[in-house]
Formats: sequence, C-alpha cells, structure tokens
Amino acid sequence: MREITYAEAVREGLSQRMREDSDVFVLGEDIGVYGGAFGVTRGMIEEFGPERIRNTPISEAAITGAAVGAALTGMKPVLELQFSDFITIAMDQLVNQAAKVRYMYGGKGHVPMVVRTPSGSGTGAAAQHSQSLEAWVAHIPGLKVVQPSTAYDAKGLLKAAMEDPNPVIFYEHKVLYKSKSDVPEEEYTIPLGKADVKKEGTDVTIIATAIMVHKALEAAEELEKRGISVEVVDPRTLVPLDEETIIASVSKTGRVIIVHEAVKRGGFGGEIAGVIAESEAFDYLDAPIRRLGALPIPVPYNPVLEKAMIPQVEDIIKAVEETMRGA
Amino acid sequence: MAKEIFMPKLSSTMETGTLLQWFKEEGDQVDVGDPVFEIMTDKINIEVEAYEEGILLKRYYGVDEEVPVNGIVGYIGKEGEEVPDQPGETPEDPAVEKAEEKEAVIENTSSSETEVSSDKKVRATPAARKKAGETGVPLHTLQGSGPNGRIHKKDVEVSGQQQERVTPLAEKVAADKGVDLAGVQGSGPNGKIYRRDVELPAEEQVPAAETISTAYEGTRRFIGDRMQQSSSEIPHVTLNTEIDASVLKKMRAELLPVIEKKTGKRLSYNDILVKALGEVLISHPQVNATFENNSITRHQESHIGIAVAADFGLMVPVLRDVEKKSLSLIVQESKELAVKAREGRTRPDDMKQGTFTISNLGMYAVDHFNPIINQPQAAILGVGRLHDKVIAVNGTAEVRPVLSLSLSFDHRIIDGAPAAAFLTELKEKLESPYQLLI
Repeated sequence: MREITYAEAVREGLSQRMREDSDVFVLGEDIGVYGGAFGVTRGMIEEFGPERIRNTPISEAAITGAAVGAALTGMKPVLELQFSDFITIAMDQLVNQAAKVRYMYGGKGHVPMVVRTPSGSGTGAAAQHSQSLEAWVAHIPGLKVVQPSTAYDAKGLLKAAMEDPNPVIFYEHKVLYKSKSDVPEEEYTIPLGKADVKKEGTDVTIIATAIMVHKALEAAEELEKRGISVEVVDPRTLVPLDEETIIASVSKTGRVIIVHEAVKRGGFGGEIAGVIAESEAFDYLDAPIRRLGALPIPVPYNPVLEKAMIPQVEDIIKAVEETMRGA
Repeated sequence: MAKEIFMPKLSSTMETGTLLQWFKEEGDQVDVGDPVFEIMTDKINIEVEAYEEGILLKRYYGVDEEVPVNGIVGYIGKEGEEVPDQPGETPEDPAVEKAEEKEAVIENTSSSETEVSSDKKVRATPAARKKAGETGVPLHTLQGSGPNGRIHKKDVEVSGQQQERVTPLAEKVAADKGVDLAGVQGSGPNGKIYRRDVELPAEEQVPAAETISTAYEGTRRFIGDRMQQSSSEIPHVTLNTEIDASVLKKMRAELLPVIEKKTGKRLSYNDILVKALGEVLISHPQVNATFENNSITRHQESHIGIAVAADFGLMVPVLRDVEKKSLSLIVQESKELAVKAREGRTRPDDMKQGTFTISNLGMYAVDHFNPIINQPQAAILGVGRLHDKVIAVNGTAEVRPVLSLSLSFDHRIIDGAPAAAFLTELKEKLESPYQLLI
C-alpha cells in the first residue's frame, strides 16, 4: 500500500465518489483554481469542471443554505467551510434547517449533505481561525459529527458521510492535513459510529479525538517505557458515539483520561465521561475519570501561548501518571 | 423497601454479638418470627427472629464474625430489590430508636452504648467497592493507598491475600509438596490452614495431643472482662468462718426424701444455704445492696444469683424473691435454672437484677476461697466443702461436720462490722437451721 497525506486522502475520497455518483458536487470559497484554503480540492476543478466544483460568494450562511436546498432536491452536496470557526455563520441553516427537515416532514425530505471544515489550532491563525467547536454541533439532534485523525480514517469516513442520508459535519484537522498513512487506492467505507482502538493496553485508557490521538500515542510510547500500558481509543465519530468500545476499554483498564483540543468546559469530553459514569464501566473505575482539554480562553496568536493552551504530550503523560497513583 | 436486620442489644453491657450460624440462605423466604441467625453475646446464645416478612436479600457477615450492636446484619425485602454491598453505617437515630424499640420487650436498655464501629464514610473507588463486595472484605477495615486514604482495588486485593486463611509456613510447605491448598481442611480457628494440615492428607489426620489456642472472645471474654473489672475496681475484703453443720446435715437428711417426693428433685446443701441467705439478706440491707453510677441501692427483696459451671463458662442465673419462697420451691426453681444454664438456654432475663450471689465449690476439695464480687452487687458468698473436722465443743474435742463460708464484700459501700454481723447471723441460722422454718 502507498502512503498519502490526510489532505490527499480527502481529495481522493471525494474524487472517487464524484466519479461514481453524479449527484455529488462540491461548493465553497476559493475551492476552484485556488484549491481551497488548505489545498484539499486542488486540481479537482480541472477534472470535474466548475459545475461540480462551485466557487461561492463569501457567505457561509448562503453556502450552507444552498447546500440544504440542493440536498432536499436530490443532490448530494459536499460543502467546504474554510475555517470551522465560520460554522457560527452557518449555524441557523445547520441547526434549524438541515438537522430538522427530515424529522419535521416525517421523513418525506432528507438532507444528504456533508460539511467539510478544518478545525483546530497550531497554525498561528489566532482566535477566530483556530477553534474546535465540535461540541456545538454534537449537541444538535439530526447532525452527525465526524473527526478523523488519520488519512486512512479520513477517506473511509468521508465515503460513509457522503452516503449517509443525514447532514454530517466532517471536521478535518488543519495540522493533520500533511500527516501521512497507508491508504488503499480503492474506495472503502468506515461506518460512522465505530471507534478505533489505535493502541491496545491494560492499565489506563486514553480516549482522544483528532490531533490528540497522535499526542496520546506519543505519550503512550513514553509511558510504556515507564511500565504503564496505555490503551488509546479514537471514537472517530462523536455522533453517533461508539459507547460500546469505550465502555469495554474502560471496564478493562479501570482508569480513563479523555483528551480533546476543544475547551474543556462544556467540551465533548464531559459527554464521554458521563457515558462512562452511567455505564457498567463505573463498577470498574479505580480512579476518578479525568479530562484534558484546552484552557477556557480564546486561542492566543503567540505560538508559545497557543501551545500552552491545549494539552500537550507532557500533559498527557503527567495526567496518566497521576491517574495511576490514584490522584 | 428492604428492611435491615439489626444486631440486637440484649443487655446493657453488650457491645458486639458474634454470629454463630445462619438459618437462612440469601434468597430464602423469611416469615415474621422465623429464626434468621444465632448469635453469641453476653454469656448466652440466642436466635434472632425476623421482624419482617420477605426474602433474605443480603447477609453481610459470616459465621464467627463480630457485629456491633445495632449494626446491620442483613436485609429482608422483596425479590430483586437492591441493597448495599456493604452493611455501611447504621442510620443514626431512627435505627437506634427502632432497635431499642424492639429490644424494649427484652429489657429497658440504658441509652448509652449505641455507637457503631465506623462513623466515617468510606472513601473507595467503584472498582474497590465491587472487589470488596465480591470478596467480602469490609472496606472500613482497610487503609487506602490513594489520596486522602482513598481505597483502590489493589488495596482490597492485598488485604484479601492477607486474609487468606493459611499460615505462610503452611503455604510454603504446600508449594514444596505440590499440595493444593483449596483441598486442605484447616484445623485452626475459622479453618485456618497450619503446616500440619498440609503435611497430613485429610484422612490421615489424627487429633494430636497438641496445645490448642483459642481466641479470647465471646462468653469467655465476657466473663473474663467482668472478673478483671470487678477485681480491679472493688476493694475486696473476704471474711471466713466455719459452721458446725451437725444439725444442718441431719435436717437435710430428714427433708431430702420429703422434698424429693414432692418435687422429684434432691435437696442440696446449697438450697438450704440459699434459703438461709434469703432471710438473712432481708435483715441486712447493707449487704443486700448494689452499687451503680455512684448510687447505692439497698434492696427489699433477696434475688440470689447462683453460680453454675457450664461447659462454656460460668453462668449466674438469678433466683428471685427467695425470702418468700419455701424450701421445696427453691429446690424446684434452682434446679431448673441450673439445668438451663448448663444447656446454654439461660435467657438474659434470667441473669438480671440479682442482689447477691452464692458460689459453691463444696463438691471439690476446697475448704475456702475468696470469691470475686459479681458487679454491681455488694457481696458474694463462697461456700467450701462440708467435711468432718475435730472441733472443740463444750471443752471437749469432737468430730463434727464442718462447712466453711467466705464472704467477700465491697469495702467501698460496706464496712467490716456490718459484713461480719451478716456472716455471724448466717452462721447462727445454719447451725440452728430449724429456725428457717419459723
């Protein structure tokens, strides 16, 4: 198998689907010749033309509203929001339209659309271009939420998202776009709602999303040298959430740390912690559930502060060691 | 709602009860009045009955475990009801009240001594609690290794290993010989496995003439602690005297067939002594007294405790209102009390409210001894053997049957002279025992 980047995997998945399914089209700001803010759609306009790779005005509300309408009339739009921070502008279309239509009309209409949008800090893009707001949409019934952490997962999950009859928010991490992994050339599907145990271990479970999966794996490697066997679970999709895999892992290890880049307060880690506490895994907990998330501040522009704001490998190591001591 | 089964408080001094056996398994149907378990307490074994009807949901303690008074021993409720894994704390007031309410039938308990062993909530992880529930390790006995003493699973596991009922030596021998300890019956307390159990296969085990150690607990401990307390608290003075038992002996010989015919029971010297004490005590209220809570109570009735040697230890059932009773009634009742005591059927009620105690070792080669006072009573009479002795009678040496009496009294509340006067009057009554018939 060959290695390709996360961005290439998304492009490949998108292109392969568009070749198979003429209902799929892409819309967004500067996605044509420019190739999008992070170059994900680069070259696609040459293959599919401006009819299916549609540049739009700078209005997230308009892009999303157009996509909802297209989806309702039988198309399968994939829209790109340059930065996931701008999802706030699209929120009314997503929350009050896309998420509701199928329910409100008794299933007579459905909205098979995918919102691709890059999230996360680490690029020096500051407060308005670095946030992780997945918890906002995860709260809304009717929206599915995907956070792939590897190129392989991105391609497989994107196919599942495009084939899903519901609106799916597909978070791509900016810093991960250049990360590489083995990706099959042919199309494949990773079903939504299926977590992946990225590393097996026995002493403690780290549940990590997006870029934190990589930090957790790095921490696990170091902790392994210190005699602590860490299991790293990547939920991959927040909605639907693979509770079974999480509960099984925590029941096995008896200790759990939940790590995400989003602000800890009100973050999805609280939801995962709640799922664990309410489950039979409770009986196996031998230390308090612990969450690591960003500090409750806007993402700083200063790269040192930007780094300090979100959990780093050392923070995870420290948290694991404290949890092992029962602290 | 599941109802707790409490360890009853059967006497004012009872602090814990030891579980002797369960009559019901978890899941068994229990009706009101069914005996649920048997406990050993202050001197007695007693069956505890159910106050509720339902299913026995939980048994928190095993045989030989001690349970604090008013501690929760188990739960009765409906099939499938949830009950705590641990007995936990006795809920403060309601439980105490409830328990005392129940006990009120048996006695008017003093309101003190209703504390439960642990008043602090146990800090333990869910995993530790689950493990403790499975292994029956009481969490409140553990020292947690986590912050603020939080108990983790490994703390429970370590303690479980320590509680394995096998000595380290036995474990080593078993490992050397490849013996599976699971199949070995321990000969120690609670089936603890000693080396000898491992060395001899079960069928070859013969009761060896080895010293056997038993725990200082239960009845033995209760008696011992009371003796210790009395001996150390009370300034004992013992007065000794000998009585000429010629007439006493003659009278007993004459009355024995009469009383045997009437009651079917044999008149003993002790019965005549009890009869005499019953009368003499009434005229010596200073001796017929109890001393409790800085208060001396002088009694108008003679409730005489009779020391009985049972296999499991000393029992002192009380014969009430002796001064009002005929000799034949005394014979009848004291024999019944003695039989009950030896069979371990003495009820707490039978041992209460004594005002004086008699301890008779006359069947042994004991001339006299210094008895220890049975608190809160003020005095006790020790009775030695009746045997022939040469004594001076009207200036000549004669062989007469002689009985020795020893009166121990509490010098805090009785002085020497009144105690001596009591003993003297008792001696006179017993030397001229027909006076008792007046």
